[in-house]
Amino acid sequence: MSNLATAIPTIWQPHTQQHAYRQLMQAFANPGQIEALSEDALLLTLATLLDGATSIADVHGLISALDLARLETANEPAETAHFVLADGAQAPVFTPSLGTLESPEGGATLLLTVTAFNDGASYTLSGPGVDGARNVTLQGLNPAWLDSRESWNAAFPMGVDIVLLAGKQVMALPRTTRIKGA
Amino acid sequence: MSVTYNFGFMDEHAKKEVRRSILKAISIPGYQVPYSSREMPMGRGFGTGGLQITLSLIGADETLKVIDQGSDDSVNAVNLRQFVELTCPGVNTTTHLNEATLIQSRHRIPEVPLTPNQTLVLQVPYPDPLVVVEPSEDKRKVMHGEADYARLLVKLYEDIVKFDEITISHRYPTRINGHYVIDPSPIPRWDVPKLHNSPALILFGAGREKKIYAVPPHTKAEPLAFDDVPFRVESFNDAQGNRRPCERCGATDSFLDEYINEDGSKRYQCSDSDYCDTVLAETKEAANA
Ligand SMILES: [Zn+2]
Repeated sequence: MSNLATAIPTIWQPHTQQHAYRQLMQAFANPGQIEALSEDALLLTLATLLDGATSIADVHGLISALDLARLETANEPAETAHFVLADGAQAPVFTPSLGTLESPEGGATLLLTVTAFNDGASYTLSGPGVDGARNVTLQGLNPAWLDSRESWNAAFPMGVDIVLLAGKQVMALPRTTRIKGA
Repeated sequence: MSVTYNFGFMDEHAKKEVRRSILKAISIPGYQVPYSSREMPMGRGFGTGGLQITLSLIGADETLKVIDQGSDDSVNAVNLRQFVELTCPGVNTTTHLNEATLIQSRHRIPEVPLTPNQTLVLQVPYPDPLVVVEPSEDKRKVMHGEADYARLLVKLYEDIVKFDEITISHRYPTRINGHYVIDPSPIPRWDVPKLHNSPALILFGAGREKKIYAVPPHTKAEPLAFDDVPFRVESFNDAQGNRRPCERCGATDSFLDEYINEDGSKRYQCSDSDYCDTVLAETKEAANA
């Protein structure tokens, strides 16, 4: 006997996505804060945020054809996609959508896979959502992403918002977050 | 006959759109993110913007508090709370701020500071403070993008020249993170300082105007003011210059509502009913100790 609710993998269930969303929202509201999701952060974040109204560029082919079909989202070049998924270890070779002065929400959300948040290069974050300063360590993020981010975010309100994905963990770097290297 | 609703009434695609809009609203503090506001089974103007945010956020492990003008018991608050109870099985509701994880409110921010684990959703009738000086939305969007509020400041200053002080009692224009100026919803001036460096995320939903905006935690929120006319909150001093207490609980640190007695005299009581109850209970406890 099959039971529909159990037949659908948890990642694709509304309850799982609601819970994951709240953690993503907390991550955006508190840049640099690590949120531990219940499942693989890459796929769960995609499942939570994407649907037929969105588009994605999977720059380094990180999602399977089956999962891509399940997301019901449109493939688009990294230059125009709403969401850009990439391996954070590799330097960016594109300029994502930055939005416009009138509609800055058109700036892309970059989803970058990294190795870990408990080791690696140290950075100090400040800006909205950070009480004073917050120290973070990022392992497996090519520093070229942060250099490019600087130029992409140079003309607020235009810019990109970044979600870092490490295993089941996520960390957000909205465009307002100032990042200083150690 | 039983009617089955999707948990949270809205379909999952509608929720996802609201959720994505909220992330952009947090990333661009004070910017009004457009979204396709859905029809809700109540008229727009009854908090449907706030309700759509609440329903997109809420989960089965949630405890929700709904406040209308400071009270949990007004018809509007009761209706919204019952709608959530009906469409979100398993969700708890409360009138006690300290038990709530999610708070939807109209016209007030609670007196007691929120905590980092709470999220406040404010209902907004008119989201754009620039409407009073610029009728074209396209032009307003450029002005917001450039943080060009010169005409709004002139309008405010005209008020001052005419009335000798800033007379805006509600919806005081407030600049967020040094860029966008928001309409903070019809909260009194008393509540505006609570937006500054708030421990909790504050979300604003305008259903009719189809806009969502946010003040993230620990973000600068500055009411527009002038060097010679600083921003001031309401005064609750009597003619002798003494701070009026709440007649019910005795608090002298809360926003007071004014009531007219049958004999024409005035009576003052906390607007935040949960705060009033809490202070009253503490006072009784102290008396019995
Ligand atoms: Zn009282």
